[in-house]
Amino acid sequence: MLGLKAISAQNGWEYALLGVSIVFTGLVLLALVLSQLHKLLRLWENRSSIGQLVKERWKSESAVTDQETTKSEPSSDLIESRRQYQMLVERIGEPFALPRLLRLAEKSGLHRPHATINELIQADIILPDDNGYYTWKP
Amino acid sequence: MAVNPKTLYDIPLFGDMDADALGKISSLMNYMKVQEGEVLTQKGQGAHTFYVVLSGNFLISFNEDRAFTLHEKGQIMGWSSVVTPFRYTGTAVALTRGEVLCLSAEAFRELLTGDARISDLLMKKIYAIFSERMPYFSGTKRAADS
Repeated sequence: MLGLKAISAQNGWEYALLGVSIVFTGLVLLALVLSQLHKLLRLWENRSSIGQLVKERWKSESAVTDQETTKSEPSSDLIESRRQYQMLVERIGEPFALPRLLRLAEKSGLHRPHATINELIQADIILPDDNGYYTWKP
Repeated sequence: MAVNPKTLYDIPLFGDMDADALGKISSLMNYMKVQEGEVLTQKGQGAHTFYVVLSGNFLISFNEDRAFTLHEKGQIMGWSSVVTPFRYTGTAVALTRGEVLCLSAEAFRELLTGDARISDLLMKKIYAIFSERMPYFSGTKRAADS
């Protein structure tokens, strides 16, 4: 027996379909993993801050009356911004000029630099030095 | 849109004014919405508008990139519009969306020259703010502090 009949007789079509499905499912899973990989890498890079955040959250939950701790919890966006802007500050040195940091952030293509710098000021991460320049709270 | 005089009640710059004076000033003002990154004043350019912050956050930068930020309702930008040579000494940029009251420099100066009482009350406060900010734009902040 030869040809298409032989394939049918030995369940060749089913095996072929199964093979295609396995490969396709594998590719879909691989694509999903790759599309979410940046989140995993960000988690890995910020593991110390996240650990601290988790500790703070745990503390705030166990001590409900301690409102200040809850208030000072940084958002994950702020953690990421803090990391990005800290790198820029390290590059320009301290004390630094806020307009220079803004220009550098714009040049680097960071997302919404004006609002982010404001957020960092409001969170007391960027502090004025009373000479018209700013310092970074480590 | 005309500004309701009540809007000016809790703004320190207009704190000592009676209803009549507040009515006069508010009739010259307009509300303006500002967008994140919008430039309101440009250092060295003719000072055409005086601004009072209602909401939002602003960065004002001067020579040598000295800067400070404004976050409170009632803080002002563009005092140069009433002080010779009527040129902005700093660049003001909105860090977030917000709302300001604006008053054209021409109308403001006419109001000040036409009403001695309003002029006296306002200029005292504007000069106080001018003195506070002068070290930033004159570059003598460190010397002034030492």
